[in-house]
Amino acid sequence: MNPVVVENLTVAYQKKPVLSNVSFEVPEGKLIGIIGPNGAGKSTLIKAILGLIPKAAGEIKIYDKKYRPKDRVVGYVPQRGSVDWDFPTNALDVVLMGRYGHVGWFKRPGKKDTEIAMECLKKVGMEKYANRQISQLSGGQQQRVFLARALAQDAKVYFMDEPFVGVDAATERAIIELLNELKRQGKTVLVVHHDLQTVKEYFDHVMLLNVNTIAAGPTEEVFTLENLTRTYGGKLSFLEKDQLIVEQK
Amino acid sequence: MSYESWILIVGSLAGVTCGITGCFLILRKLSMLADAISHTVLLGIVLAFIVSQSMSGIYMLIGAVVVGLLTAVGVQMLHHAGIQEDASIGVVFTFLFAVGVILITVFADDVHLDVDHALMGEITFVPWDLVQWGFLPELPKAFLMLSTVLVINLVIIGLFYKELKITSFDPQMAAAIGLPVLLIHYLLMGLVSITTVASFDSVGAILVVAMLIAPGASAYLLTNKLSIMLLLSALIGVSAAVIGYYLASWLDVSISGSMATVNGIIFALVFLFSPTKGLLSRKFTMKKLKMD
Ligand SMILES: Nc1ncnc2c1ncn2[C@@H]1O[C@H](COP(=O)(O)OP(=O)(O)OP(=O)(O)O)[C@@H](O)[C@H]1O
Ligand SMILES: [Mg+2]
Repeated sequence: MNPVVVENLTVAYQKKPVLSNVSFEVPEGKLIGIIGPNGAGKSTLIKAILGLIPKAAGEIKIYDKKYRPKDRVVGYVPQRGSVDWDFPTNALDVVLMGRYGHVGWFKRPGKKDTEIAMECLKKVGMEKYANRQISQLSGGQQQRVFLARALAQDAKVYFMDEPFVGVDAATERAIIELLNELKRQGKTVLVVHHDLQTVKEYFDHVMLLNVNTIAAGPTEEVFTLENLTRTYGGKLSFLEKDQLIVEQK
Repeated sequence: MSYESWILIVGSLAGVTCGITGCFLILRKLSMLADAISHTVLLGIVLAFIVSQSMSGIYMLIGAVVVGLLTAVGVQMLHHAGIQEDASIGVVFTFLFAVGVILITVFADDVHLDVDHALMGEITFVPWDLVQWGFLPELPKAFLMLSTVLVINLVIIGLFYKELKITSFDPQMAAAIGLPVLLIHYLLMGLVSITTVASFDSVGAILVVAMLIAPGASAYLLTNKLSIMLLLSALIGVSAAVIGYYLASWLDVSISGSMATVNGIIFALVFLFSPTKGLLSRKFTMKKLKMD
């Protein structure tokens, strides 16, 4: 059973459709890259799948069912810029928010939840910063905290919106290690990604998006110069083209 | 109890209630919406009077919640329809407030409420406006209303603490884990409405905004923890009320005006001198960094 199936999804903010007739399926236990230019609708796609914005048409199935938050099968890492990092709270507290779905109404996260949250901080190498106010973390550290929070959700499918933006090479490696670890545990991870150079190295599958699905499938089949040119139009820089050609030889 | 202690108690209760509720307004950047609600609840009070033919506290609270939520929902709907948020607030706020003003002038002879009083409040009269609830002795109405609202606010914030926190910090994540983000927003706006109405007699619609926003804004600059922020905000609210009262009797000026002014002064001091986020400490660290 495929963890994510999207059929003919159409989403419009005002009148103009931002996503039009998007269809794709995602196999279980794989790392999937969602690739497309700025404004292609990548974030919108994730939000629509999570039910954060209404869809105009189409079907979305998570493990064969309509997405219900209370099933707790989905973890989410929003774009880092989407929250106010001056909020009066510390790293551990933010990771604990990943447990809120498990805790339920009228209860506070308990000792067990705190332990899980600490463990998740450790997995992203941030346990030393547990009590650090979040505004006093670097961009890469904030990104790791977001990742730890998603881990604390203990989900089966993860959606991550640009987790590599603003992180250094070492952090990027650490994050990709972690994603591979999730994969080994049989989890499915969908990642919005911008760096075309690393796509082949990181992802088993890709989904090329620009308002429509341009192509989706195993990376070696789908991540071709032809498909990329169709995705990016004239915006694909010559440098990237050259490098892709070199890689394809 | 003496006249003076009643004013101090009522002022402090308004300080605590407004201070705690106001923290969430700061964190959600909703100060303008709170300003709007503090004015439109005037309409709620008038409607409550027209329906119940009395100035009974319970009806006033209900009227406030109804019109406060009407304000919040109206703003949300206009905003959702593509109108900018500040414009939506401006339109809904002035419209509902204007209806309130017209109704007051129509029923002016019956309602013991004039626009000046509603806007400015008069805490001086609070000790004489007594009512009798249930088995309780006769007590000042403002005291009873504020105590009731404080209890309601504390219970709601206590019950929904983590939901209020996550919807303030990351509404998208909150929605993704299935929390009714909009409902929690309206719940908070309901609290703001009853808080405003209960503080009306004492401080009025304009100054209540100072009591709602200033303590939370000061507390925000003093701590990095939400629970401490709530505590500090309550403390600052009370201090401003007490200091404001004595300042007013010393200078022989309006008590509620003085309380709001002290709130402003406290904020200015914190803004300048807060050890971590104050203007001076930030300047100082910059200088130190440059010298190193
Ligand atoms: N809240 C909104 N209201 C109206 N239009 C929106 C809104 N959010 C996004 N859009 C529009 O929808 C389109 C897709 O946006 P989206 O954020 O999904 O793109 P993206 O692929 O994630 O881009 P990026 O790479 O820059 O993050 C854009 O043209 C954008 O202008
Ligand atoms: Mg995006």
